[in-house]
Amino acid sequence: MNDFGRLLKILCEGKVQFVIIGGVAASAHGSAHLTYDLDICYGRARDNIERLAKALEPYHPRLRGVQDDLSFCFDATTIARGMNFTLTTDVGDIDLFGEVAGIGGYKDVEALSITEVLFGDECAVLSLQGLIQSKRAAARPKDLLILPEIEALRAIETQVKCQSGPIEARSEDRVEDKQSEHKPDDNP
Amino acid sequence: MDKAQRDELIRLITSPPAGSKIAAAKDFGIDLTLLVRRLELTPTERLQELAAAQAFVQKLQAAKKTSTHE
Repeated sequence: MNDFGRLLKILCEGKVQFVIIGGVAASAHGSAHLTYDLDICYGRARDNIERLAKALEPYHPRLRGVQDDLSFCFDATTIARGMNFTLTTDVGDIDLFGEVAGIGGYKDVEALSITEVLFGDECAVLSLQGLIQSKRAAARPKDLLILPEIEALRAIETQVKCQSGPIEARSEDRVEDKQSEHKPDDNP
Repeated sequence: MDKAQRDELIRLITSPPAGSKIAAAKDFGIDLTLLVRRLELTPTERLQELAAAQAFVQKLQAAKKTSTHE
């Protein structure tokens, strides 16, 4: 079983610069879709790559979906030489993305993120608008399947706002909204 | 979410404005009623629920494998 809380804690305690993207980000926004891994976009600066490698290394990251005897050394050099990694660890599956379709690299993704308190830590989460952009750009069947729900959540967020931002169970859980304003893209 | 927001949310999903993204999602087959309860949770609670659902599916898959091998 994936322990999302543990994975996020590991990344936060390791001071890794990352943004939660994909299905877990959609779930954090309220999507009812089921997903099995944590997707993150990570900063490609060398010091961040080193922090990422150091944070995950104790949990034995290995490539997912390959033969067990395939040699794989998870370290900063390997991450720097690659871009996206599909990994399994002792605490769950995690996919690392250096870039996100339709958005770009970490800085672009971070600019489209909001900060949420997740399991006690402040985490950057790709906004609904960012998710829509990335899903539209990726345009794989699985992306197009979740798109109507995300667009509906975005429309709901726009129309059912609380004073401090998009609707939440307890508004104090949302600490910051990096988007300067939400432009309604729905057609009521 | 306060009562006014919840009422507005229920109004939106039961009678989505024609041509809206909410109506499109409903037409696509999305069960919008699930979103009401999901949006009443905190983001952490949503991820805890996701992990629980994931564990349930994995138990079902494991049970299916066991049953197949019997």
